[in-house]
Amino acid sequence: MTQQAAASPPIPAPNELTAFFWEGAKQDKLLIQQCNSCHKFQHWPEPVCHHCLSFDLGHGEVSGRGTVYSYEIATQAFHPYFEDKLPFVIAVVELEEQPNLKLITNLVDFADEQLQVGAAVEVTFRPLNDDFNLPVFRPAAG
Amino acid sequence: MAKKQRVAIVGVGYSTVGRNTGLSLDTLTAQSSIAAMEDAGVTPKDIDGVAVHSFPHQYVSATHTAAMLGIPDLDFYSSSVDGAAYSVAALHGIAAVASGSSEMCLTLRTVHRAGAAGGSALIGGPDAGIGGNFQFSMPYGSFTGSHWAGLYMQRHMAMYGTKEEDFGAFAVAQREYAVKNPTESFFHDPLTLDDYMNSRYIAKPLHLLDCDYPVDSSSALIFTTEERARDLKQKAVFFDSWAMGTTKEADFSLVEDMTHSSPWMAAKRMWSKTDLTPADVDTAGLYDGFTFIAMQWMEALGFCGEGESGPFVTAGNTRADGLLPTNTDGGACNVGRRHGANFFIEVTRQLRGTAGDRALPKQPKVGVVANAVGGFAASALLTAD
Repeated sequence: MTQQAAASPPIPAPNELTAFFWEGAKQDKLLIQQCNSCHKFQHWPEPVCHHCLSFDLGHGEVSGRGTVYSYEIATQAFHPYFEDKLPFVIAVVELEEQPNLKLITNLVDFADEQLQVGAAVEVTFRPLNDDFNLPVFRPAAG
Repeated sequence: MAKKQRVAIVGVGYSTVGRNTGLSLDTLTAQSSIAAMEDAGVTPKDIDGVAVHSFPHQYVSATHTAAMLGIPDLDFYSSSVDGAAYSVAALHGIAAVASGSSEMCLTLRTVHRAGAAGGSALIGGPDAGIGGNFQFSMPYGSFTGSHWAGLYMQRHMAMYGTKEEDFGAFAVAQREYAVKNPTESFFHDPLTLDDYMNSRYIAKPLHLLDCDYPVDSSSALIFTTEERARDLKQKAVFFDSWAMGTTKEADFSLVEDMTHSSPWMAAKRMWSKTDLTPADVDTAGLYDGFTFIAMQWMEALGFCGEGESGPFVTAGNTRADGLLPTNTDGGACNVGRRHGANFFIEVTRQLRGTAGDRALPKQPKVGVVANAVGGFAASALLTAD
C-alpha cells in the first residue's frame, strides 16, 4: 500500500439516475444506461431515452471494448488531487456496442507510441477511494 | 402584423477591462452600456429592449440592468444563461428588433475572470461530491474548456494531418493585429512561432497560447431598426443573416464529430438565408476561446476546404493582406475574454471605417462574426451600405 496522496480525489455524488454506473464499476463491470423499449444505449444517463422517448430505462453491461476517439496529455492539474499525477491521459473512448456511444475517461498503461486516435482499448478499473472504482481504458489485449 | 425590420448596429462599447478590475458585474455592465449609448448618441429613454447573456454563477439580469440604467419600460428583455456566449444575447436582440418586439435593444455580455472557466467553480469543498453529469468527467481530471479543446485539436490532427504549428500560425497572425491595437490588447510584442511552440502545454496538444486571456470585461452593442439608424450618429452596419446551431449531444467532449460540431450547423443555416457567399466576405471575427475554434469556423463557413484550415492559416490567409483578414482587434487571445462580443464590435468598426491603424487595405463591406463551438454556436453576416 503506497502512502495516500494528501488531496482527496473528486468523488461522484450518485443519484437515482447514475447510481448503477458506480455500483457496477465497484464490481469491475462497465454498465451503461439502456432503454428497455428500443434497447439502445446512452451515456450520460438521462431520465428519457433520446432515441425513442421512452421513460422505461434500465442498464446493460457492455464488453468494455472500444477505440480511442481522441486523447490529450494533461500537463496542468485543475484540482489538487491531480498535481502529483501529471502527466496523465484524458481521452474519449467510443464503445463497440453502438456508434457514437462514448465516454470521457483516462488511458492507462499506454506506451507513448501506442497513443493514437483509433487505438483499440479495453476497460479496466482503478480505485478512486474505498467507495468508488473508476472505469479507465488500457490497450486491448492481443 | 409588424413587418420584418432590417436590423442595424448603431452603438458599441466596452467597460474597463482588466485582470482584476475590482469592479462588480453590475458596475462593468453599466460602464459598457453607457459607452455604447454614447457611441450611438442615444439615452436610456430610447432603449426599450435589453438582452443579456451571462453564466449562471456570474448572473447578470436584464431587468435589473434596465433598472440600474434608468430605462423606463421594456418591451423586450432576455437573460440567457445557456449557449453561445454574447451571440445568444445578440441573436435575441436581432430577433426582437427584426420582429418589432423592440425598437432599440441593448445587448450585453459581462464576465468576471475569476471562476469564468465554469466547471472548476462548481466543485464545493474537498468533501463535496460531484453531482450531475460532471461526475462522468471530473473524476478523470477533466475540468475546464481546455480539456475538451485538447481533444478537438488532437482529433483534427489525426483526421487531417493538422500540425501544432498550424494552430501556432493563427496565434502569430492574430498578434500582428494586436500590436496595432495597443489600447485594447494586453500583449504588445510580436509573437514568433517559436514563442508559441515553447509556451507550455495545458493539455497536449493544447498550448497556453491557444487560450484566450481571462479578464473582467463587459461589452455592449445597441441594435435598432433601419429607419431609426438613419438618424443616429454612426454609420449603420446591418445584419444580413444570422443563425444558431447545436449538436444533439449537450456535452462538448461527447459530440458525435469534433471536427464538424455546431459551427457547421449554424454556418449552413446562415448561408441558406442570404444571397451572399463566402467569396463576398471581406473580414471575419471568429471566436478564439481557443485557436482551433476560429479554424473550425473557417472550414464550417466555407472559407477553406474541409480539414484544410491548418494550411489555410499557415499560408497567411488570416493576415491583413490575406484572403480573410481575421480577428483584426487581436482576438480574445490578446484583447481578453469578451466572450464573442469583441468580434461583433471589431467587425462593426471595420465596416464603419473607424478601425484606425487596423483599417484593412480595402474598405470592407461584408463581415462575418461567429461564436462558440462544440454543443452550441451562432454566426451572423454584417454588411455596410
